[in-house]
Amino acid sequence: MLSAPAAAWSSWTPPEWVSSRRLRYGLIGAAALFIAAYPLLSDDRYYQNMIILSLVFAIGATGLNIITGYGGYVSLGQGAFIGLGGYTAAILSTKVGGNPFVWVPVAGVVAGLFAAALGVIAMRARGHTFVILTIVFLFLLQIVAINWRELTNGTAGLTMPLPRWSPDIANWPFYYALLGLLVVSIAMSWWIRRTKFGMGLVSIREDEDKAETVGINTPVYKILGFVASTVFVGMAGAVYGYYLSFVDPLGMFNILLSVQIILSVLLGGRGTLWGPVLGAFIVEPLNEFANNSLGGGNARLLVFGGLMALVVLFMPRGIVPAISEFLERRRTRGRAGLVGERLGAPIELKEREVPTAPAAVSGQTLLEVKNVAKRFGGLRAVDSCGFAVPEGSITALIGPNGSGKTTLFNLIDGTMPLDSGEVWFDGRRIDRQRPWNRAHAGVGRTFQITRLFKEMTVLENVVAPIREFRLRQLNADAVSGPEAERAEELLEFVGMLKYRDVPASALSYGQQKLVELAQVLMLDPKLILLDEPAGGINPTLIERMGDMIRELNSRGKTFLIVEHNMPFVLGLCDPVRVLGRGKLMAQGTPEEVQRDPRVLDAYLGDDFAVEPQVVEA
Amino acid sequence: MTEFVQTLILGLLVGGVYALLASGLTLIFGVMNVINIAHGAFLILAAFITYSIWRAIGLDPLAGILITTPVMFVFGWVVYNLTLRRIRTGPAAATVLLTFGLALVVEGLMGIIWGNTAHAVTAPYFNESFHIGSLFLPKAQVYGGVLALVVLAVLWIVLTQSWLGRAIRAAAVNPQGAALVGVNVSAVSAATFAVGVASAGAGGSIASVLYTFLPGSHYVWISRLLGIIVLGGMGSLPGALIGALTLGIAETMTVTYISPSWATAVPYALVFVVLLVRPYGILGTRLREDVVT
Repeated sequence: MLSAPAAAWSSWTPPEWVSSRRLRYGLIGAAALFIAAYPLLSDDRYYQNMIILSLVFAIGATGLNIITGYGGYVSLGQGAFIGLGGYTAAILSTKVGGNPFVWVPVAGVVAGLFAAALGVIAMRARGHTFVILTIVFLFLLQIVAINWRELTNGTAGLTMPLPRWSPDIANWPFYYALLGLLVVSIAMSWWIRRTKFGMGLVSIREDEDKAETVGINTPVYKILGFVASTVFVGMAGAVYGYYLSFVDPLGMFNILLSVQIILSVLLGGRGTLWGPVLGAFIVEPLNEFANNSLGGGNARLLVFGGLMALVVLFMPRGIVPAISEFLERRRTRGRAGLVGERLGAPIELKEREVPTAPAAVSGQTLLEVKNVAKRFGGLRAVDSCGFAVPEGSITALIGPNGSGKTTLFNLIDGTMPLDSGEVWFDGRRIDRQRPWNRAHAGVGRTFQITRLFKEMTVLENVVAPIREFRLRQLNADAVSGPEAERAEELLEFVGMLKYRDVPASALSYGQQKLVELAQVLMLDPKLILLDEPAGGINPTLIERMGDMIRELNSRGKTFLIVEHNMPFVLGLCDPVRVLGRGKLMAQGTPEEVQRDPRVLDAYLGDDFAVEPQVVEA
Repeated sequence: MTEFVQTLILGLLVGGVYALLASGLTLIFGVMNVINIAHGAFLILAAFITYSIWRAIGLDPLAGILITTPVMFVFGWVVYNLTLRRIRTGPAAATVLLTFGLALVVEGLMGIIWGNTAHAVTAPYFNESFHIGSLFLPKAQVYGGVLALVVLAVLWIVLTQSWLGRAIRAAAVNPQGAALVGVNVSAVSAATFAVGVASAGAGGSIASVLYTFLPGSHYVWISRLLGIIVLGGMGSLPGALIGALTLGIAETMTVTYISPSWATAVPYALVFVVLLVRPYGILGTRLREDVVT
């Protein structure tokens, strides 16, 4: 039984304004105003100091959020960039003299350069190498700061020139410099999340392999993302150094700075714009509390460590997403979920003029696979296989299960390296190119089991692909403007426009197939590889899929289609290539292939069922 | 020349200890795809336990591995079941952050129990050396290094010869397949984690004789061990051995020929240089991620 207040609480439905944007921006505005006005309102140095430190951590956390929250790569060395900035300012101001207005930006550049160098080493590999190298990097810098005495004065540290302004406003310049840096950091984070670059970073977090196939040059994205994560942090570190007027290796390269930054991102909500800032303003007061009331040192470790473990285990998405989810749940309670309601509606299939005549097959070869082989241990998945796809055709690639069709797709789009042989596309040899280069050359590919970026909306999924690698493309607005309009056109074409703001994970399988097609079309590819476009979807949708393929073909797109639905594929495609045991077994028109005894044998006969597979060691 | 040979042998002995400590880390990564950032804290914990036993009853610290190994095995099993088990299949970033949090908690607890001062375990043979020809080899280094290699050999035999070892390797290569042939993958993960932590226990006892330690030492250790497994190729046990010996030799060579204060830096720099040439480490190949078929 619930007590009366508890019952009232559990049945409480927040009014509309609670989750409205106006409230959110009102709260943020009020907090910003308070922080901006605080030094004018109060002379309390203790709280000014606490806010200054919170600002430093908020800048660190907003930066870290770009590579960790958007890109999905955790860095345990974010604090090192505060140290780098502090040391840059300290060394330059003590050795060269000069003005903070010069050295603070220089510190940002130095931090960015170090991040670029570390990124070049760590970001070419996938997975855990990066997080490990960030720790190693932090300790390496600390050791250098301790040992390179001529430059850093060792463990004794460097004392920086004291400010010359009036003591009445002693903290103001630091305070407002950091506030300004935080505003710029948040603006950058906001802008990145809106651009094609930001979409690319998030898609790397969601599925790095898939991201490569839609043209995203993942190492460059990750390195740029890492640099963006650190530049303002380096500048904040420099201001922090001037504020302390003293830097030493143990303070500046203390791993607890990193801990506090990570905890801020994690607690506030990684991947959100305001979460890291909120987190920083929670964690720093907590830090002060642990230091002053719990005895510092070990208590601080227990608080930070314990909190980090608890957040990971029980609130992995952080405060901001947790609150918005809670409000969303309350608001939609008793009704069908907002998402479910909308998804229940049948897809409107627009009547389209279906061209009767297929595009003229130019007779030129667009894709040629020459003598390609791929082995998995002793199994020859693809073995001296060769065929051509004529430009302007809808070519089918059929064959029994396990005949190597999908593996061939993986070799053509570069998801897997081939062992031997050549792949030629549009007159160029592409088999040594990385997947994103092949995508830029004009190869688009869908997957048998759809691979959308699950936490991104439908529109974001479609707008993420990159047609060519240019900075202007990266910086292009993805949420509005020409890129978004084009994505909407494509969604309209596949009949999914009304789902543009739904997360991809909420779509049915068939709907995902349609969105994935739109996503590939965003690349404007010359050749589209479709892996079982008709698999697992209903007959109406199959028909619709066929119509779309014909229409795209009439506009000049060439298709290579793997499919098991024979009426569908034989009605749609010409020519047909038949694979068997990784080799080209037969090819020709649909009629020729249907009459071919070897094909009939492979599909209907006992050849594959009974004869044991010869597996070589 | 004598100096060079002596440095080389010392480097190999140091590398042997590193190899034992890194083996648990790389094993846990290979099987569970978890970077156990708390590995350094666990080994310092084992060193402190060794210290306390040695102070209390005078047990030889190297014999202490008979106690620390099983104690840390149980500790690892409990930690796994209380924390990691909940997010075993979650994103890799989560496990990194969780184990990092655990490391901080263990560091704080050690600080409360033993204090934040440097500790050392001085065995009776602490200041003695073997003299072979013109070589001077400190007994503690020799005993420690050899013992580490013996424990490592035992671990290797367990992994290659026992049912548990086969189950662990099966779960590492193909979890679904292992589950299909009757391997309880979750239980195997718990056992793997426990074995990995136990090896940190044995290594921690040995390290307590060779190095002074305090709760905060675990950062240096974890970054060194992570450097080793990245250097060798992540998840590969032979890679960990090669990485450890390389790093051990690089460190002792730096002490002898450059300067002791740079000894900890040079190996890190080495890690960066190797990765510049081979992004996936010496023995590492890019893991074949299962491309959806």
